[in-house]
Amino acid sequence: MSNYSMKDIEWAKINKDVLKSLESPRKSFWVVLGVCLVLVLIGVAAEAYQYQEGLGVALMNRPHFWQLYISNFVFWIGMSHSGTLLSAILLLTKADWRKPIYRFAEAMTLFSILTAAIFPVIHLGRVWDMYWVLPYPNQRTIWPNFRSPLLWDAAAITTYATSSALFLYIGMIPDLAICRDNAKGWRKKLYSALSMGWMGRAREWIAFRKTYVLMACFLVPLAVSVHSIVASDFAMSIMPDWHITSFPPYFVAGALYSGCAAIITLFVLLRHVFRFEEYMTTEIMDKTAKLTFAIAMVWNYLNLSEYASIWYSNDMFEKEVLIEKFTGPYAPIVWGMLLCATVAPFAMAFKKVRHNMWAMFWLSLVLQLGMWLERFQIVSPPLASNHEPWTWAVVWPGLVQLSITLASFGWFTMLFLIFCKIFPSVSMYEVKEMVFHRRHASSRAELQDLDKVKEEMIKTEEGLHHGA
Amino acid sequence: MVRRRKKHLLFATYDDFEKAREVVGELKVLDLKEMVIDNIELYSPIEHPEVEEILGDIDKPIQRFTFFGAITGAICAFLLVAAAAQSMFTVQPQGGKPVIPLPPDIVITYEGTILFGVLSTLIGFFIYAGLPKSLRKYYNEKVSEDQIGIEVQMQPQHKEKVREVLKKCGAIEIREVEL
Repeated sequence: MSNYSMKDIEWAKINKDVLKSLESPRKSFWVVLGVCLVLVLIGVAAEAYQYQEGLGVALMNRPHFWQLYISNFVFWIGMSHSGTLLSAILLLTKADWRKPIYRFAEAMTLFSILTAAIFPVIHLGRVWDMYWVLPYPNQRTIWPNFRSPLLWDAAAITTYATSSALFLYIGMIPDLAICRDNAKGWRKKLYSALSMGWMGRAREWIAFRKTYVLMACFLVPLAVSVHSIVASDFAMSIMPDWHITSFPPYFVAGALYSGCAAIITLFVLLRHVFRFEEYMTTEIMDKTAKLTFAIAMVWNYLNLSEYASIWYSNDMFEKEVLIEKFTGPYAPIVWGMLLCATVAPFAMAFKKVRHNMWAMFWLSLVLQLGMWLERFQIVSPPLASNHEPWTWAVVWPGLVQLSITLASFGWFTMLFLIFCKIFPSVSMYEVKEMVFHRRHASSRAELQDLDKVKEEMIKTEEGLHHGA
Repeated sequence: MVRRRKKHLLFATYDDFEKAREVVGELKVLDLKEMVIDNIELYSPIEHPEVEEILGDIDKPIQRFTFFGAITGAICAFLLVAAAAQSMFTVQPQGGKPVIPLPPDIVITYEGTILFGVLSTLIGFFIYAGLPKSLRKYYNEKVSEDQIGIEVQMQPQHKEKVREVLKKCGAIEIREVEL
């Protein structure tokens, strides 16, 4: 595979190809959008029913106070990780292959957070009391208790959502200017307002690059802190199977893992739908797959070390929950997770799989299923066999919870589809930069080759001269 | 009454960054000889690392905004949690626990540091990039596609000399504006 692939694409063509993706969508777009809307409406109906009747209709009762809503919350927060975090890390390490894929990954982050943020509200049951988590002096002078990880969550998610949205927006400004220069009607007005008069002046670029790197420096530790705090929701309790020191890194690795899998899914879909074959190349998929594989192995290691610490610690409650997980009613979930998230990623060790877009697409869905099951088996089984045996009960999520779960997938997809039709899902200016630098690197390499040939010719000539 | 002297502006576009580099070099030579140029600005569809090399150092100390923003965020967040703890102290017995517990407060302080750091960086960006700004009349849309723009400000009497240099270096189009 050439190190200098993509060096011959014309800049004007990059604009044309990406701007084309914003034009009137195909019929299938409206069909998918319609399905998503129906799912969202089903979720809204389920939530309205739960609002009227109480959390009992969601089958949330002792000991299952936390169930699918919290699993989904952790899943979506996890999903949000790869976009911004990977984009920031790859930006700081100057990995240029991030350029065609980071935009949609960052958008994915934002929409995942917006999806995740809905779940604590739904989970509360008393939606109208949501504002209690906000720090304000109320009539009883009781302020929110900042010692609770749930409030840390509120602070961390607000910070992460704000910073990710700004990171996405700042990175889009030069592209919004391109859109402004090529749009008409309402789009022109929208892009003009959002691009704020960007003209590509040298001072703008210098300020832009500095800002982008500074924001990336903040986003890496922020993303790690967000999922560590979500892990603290569990680890700070005394529940068996939750009170584990390695939970924060385990959650962060899991988040990166599911996020990478989601990037692969969207990569293949956008490549196919918008015909981005020239930008979303096999080379980039290969690198993304290798990264996902590496993260999968880290997650596996942390998963196994968690089992090992429970087993060798000989804590009877922890051990009981672990045995129950692998042999009890939740066993299909746990084994399913191991099959999907531990065994399946080994397929990415093979180049043939990594280079086959549709194989990667289906594999990424399997990995995501595995990670979703992982979230569920973290939340539910420990509650079913906790410290108090007289409360032991296995309760599966009911129709209300399942409807709202499905709606969350519809909501996320709907937001993502709308984004892709309004904003460029591939960064035009960064792809241009990539093309520019690769072209120059290629020319330099050719010049070096010519120099070598020249030196060899001189040597040969000198040899002939001496021989004569 | 102070009468402002009118300035002229030429905006030329090039299809290659090397040509733009050449024209800036030529203009600098011309300026050294005859002091004709008031300002040169380069417009580009991508960020060229060599821009500072050509135009000279363009200092954008955005990191100062980041630094002071982050410190302000840390202090504000810590004060918020500390104040909240004081408020609780007046109504809730603490049971021997510290009034301002450091470990949990560090989490909020950390998040506050990042949030304010990011927001102040953004403010710094807008200030140093000179945004928001209305589009200039002479702005050429090809600059956001694949051409490099050179904007030169000068006194009207030097206009022709500058135009000649811009043309000589292969300008695709030259737009003229009176400021």
